[in-house]
Amino acid sequence: MSMSAEHDDALDDEVLRQVVSELRRPVRLDPSLDRRALDQIRAEATLRMAPRPDRRWRAWLAGAAVAAGVGLAVVLPDQQRPAGAPASPVTVEQGEASSDARSVRLRLAAPASSRVAVVGDFNDWDPAATPLRPVGDGGTWIVELRLKPGRYHYTFLIDGRRWARDPSEPPAAESDFGAPVSVLTVS
Amino acid sequence: MSFARWLALSALLALPATARGQDARLTERLDAATASQVQQAVDSAKGAGLPSEPLVQKALEGATLGASDDRIVAAVQSLHGQLRRARQALGGDASDAELTAAAGALRAGLEPSALRRLQSLRPDQPLVVPIAVLTDLVAEGVPPAEATRSVLDLARDGRPDDEFVALRRQAQRRGAGGEPVGRPALRPAADPPVDQ
Repeated sequence: MSMSAEHDDALDDEVLRQVVSELRRPVRLDPSLDRRALDQIRAEATLRMAPRPDRRWRAWLAGAAVAAGVGLAVVLPDQQRPAGAPASPVTVEQGEASSDARSVRLRLAAPASSRVAVVGDFNDWDPAATPLRPVGDGGTWIVELRLKPGRYHYTFLIDGRRWARDPSEPPAAESDFGAPVSVLTVS
Repeated sequence: MSFARWLALSALLALPATARGQDARLTERLDAATASQVQQAVDSAKGAGLPSEPLVQKALEGATLGASDDRIVAAVQSLHGQLRRARQALGGDASDAELTAAAGALRAGLEPSALRRLQSLRPDQPLVVPIAVLTDLVAEGVPPAEATRSVLDLARDGRPDDEFVALRRQAQRRGAGGEPVGRPALRPAADPPVDQ
């Protein structure tokens, strides 16, 4: 074996050692990961989104890694997307035992609209997560949220195509993306 | 590249974002390059002891509102800088919620000295609501100096959070009624602060 080949093998061994070491390093997951994963599953079931094509590549490559004896010691909760999961609108913080969260009702007058949703810092800006429900016949839409004290940016999405900020709360002092956004402070 | 090295790199690429320490919300909603840049800001914030969730939310806001990738990254980096300045103003004992509110105040054009003064007047009480009201007053059109004076007056008198919120609602009503906003006169809090 030539010196060059030995050098290449040693380099490969070192690369492999570092890669395997990295793969085996424990990963600290966000404590809220389970809840967010479940929220995402519900939202995606609602949207009936097709699987992203790159997941097939990931699965193929994962198979190659396993075949090579490389252990993957991390559970992958964001990959678990059961088809046909019941579609259920997500209400922020609903069902969580949280003594310091308080009830917040958002209301919007949107006559002649067929659907209204709210997106904001409390639901990962997910248009499928928090729909409002119509009350009466005057075009008023409401939703109740459970929010912890803090400051939340949010806006309404009307009929899936028009943004409208909440006129009863202050506008965001900063407008990074051009759309009208309100700010809610929960004390 | 040798087969062994190729296989090792393939294994790394096969790992999902979560296993690589990336926030899955970012990789689901942003393209890979943008998610990576936002993740760098998030990691930097965590390393510096700053709140990182506002950065994630800013990126998701941009994605939902259809902003360009460059604009999303710029907004996240800008917010990162504001959070850093907020911590410089309020110190290491400030909560994540206080730092987030303070970052918004600085973004609105308020001076760090106003935040420090507020903190000195309410050393044992949360600052989120007073800072938020200060920011909202400016957003409603109250000149920053006037807004600062009104809020500091309440803090100096040891008023509860509800009275800060009432101050803001008065300014909001005056603005909606076409009156000059100026320095709102304080009245006892009557409205619940959030239930609209």
